Amino acid sequence: MRVRMIPRRVVWMVLAMGAALLPCAGPGRLQAAEALTRGVYDRVLELVRPEGIDQLVGEIPWGIDLWQARRQAAAEGKPILLWEMDGHPLGCT
Amino acid sequence: MAGRALAFADPEIIRMASHDFIPVAGDDWYQRRRQDAEGEFFRSVADQGPRKGAGGATRQGIYCLTASGKLLAYKNAGQNPQVMREVLRDALVAWNRLPSDERRPGAVEIPPLERADDRYTRTLAEGGLVVNVYTRALERNEDRTLETCSTRGTGYEGFATALDHLWLTEADGRSLLPDSPREGQAYPLAPRIAERILRFHLVDNTRGEPPFWRADDIRSSRLTVEIEAVTPEQVRLRLEGQALLATDADPARAERGYDASLLGWITFDRKRQIDAFDIVALGEHWGEGPYTRGARPGRTPLAIVMQLTAGDSPADRVPPAAMRNPQEYLSPSR
Repeated sequence: MRVRMIPRRVVWMVLAMGAALLPCAGPGRLQAAEALTRGVYDRVLELVRPEGIDQLVGEIPWGIDLWQARRQAAAEGKPILLWEMDGHPLGCT
Repeated sequence: MAGRALAFADPEIIRMASHDFIPVAGDDWYQRRRQDAEGEFFRSVADQGPRKGAGGATRQGIYCLTASGKLLAYKNAGQNPQVMREVLRDALVAWNRLPSDERRPGAVEIPPLERADDRYTRTLAEGGLVVNVYTRALERNEDRTLETCSTRGTGYEGFATALDHLWLTEADGRSLLPDSPREGQAYPLAPRIAERILRFHLVDNTRGEPPFWRADDIRSSRLTVEIEAVTPEQVRLRLEGQALLATDADPARAERGYDASLLGWITFDRKRQIDAFDIVALGEHWGEGPYTRGARPGRTPLAIVMQLTAGDSPADRVPPAAMRNPQEYLSPSR
């Protein structure tokens, strides 16, 4: 029986490809995450999404422009209530 | 974060804030840095209180002030409604003690802001889209069905829904759809959008400002778009995939990680404009950051929902938290 020899450069190519793919097969590979079904998708929407943005940012009509608030306060004769946080209070609540 | 908003759910505080004051909210990270008239105004007010920002430190808190820049009252954060009510009442007493010609409408004239410091202002370019990103810690029942978490008796925090925004530029939107879409056609999600979602939006921000993922923390990812339907009225895309994000190449040794699956749909109208963007991510998250202490131990379910917003309320215009570094947020790293 005649055995066909594999050219050495092909062997090296296969080994190199294997080495490149190694990280995918190691600890960094996809772990426990299960593919999402439509049912799970709907359940997550139900649990996570608020009914209205008011649920998150409240009913106070917050502006986000201090200078504009300053002009409005001057025009209406009112003081300013400024909620200043590291991380925007209306975007990281 | 939800705790900070607690006081502003109090009916008396809502009434005072809405009717007796001009309410405005801001991100101190930008305000304390910006070198323009608005930044100078803010710092001049903060300097009248205890938060003088020495060495560039935070000046966060609740400020009551006049349009001319006089500080009436200050309190750091606002978790206790009783304390917050007293702060607002004290501020109104101080306001009413001012001479009437300082308080009457039009007594102070404030010109338009002539120049904003572009380094510390963020605006989504025309044609861009704002996507609400809601994040919530969940738990599993014995049958593995999902539930919201109960805060009682656990000693852990952050079980309310958190909010951030994902920005998509006009070019991002175009990159999602091929020129001649065909049903069944499948392709990888554009790398810059995939990286933006993975690094800056698959994060646990339920207890405060989260650490974002480094590009190297994306240990593996596969986000595939498939064209599900093409009609004269719309093109519907299905996005699905998985991602493993971890601070160590070996997830077992990583101090922080998120092992998640994604599923969702994006639709384009007849003008090839995105009119729906609904993506869900669900997976196990573990670990915490310097400003997100109090995480549940071990790997626990964390869900993220992304949905297009109308973009017409002030809250919609708040930039993504990661836009403090716009180059990294908007541009691909690989």
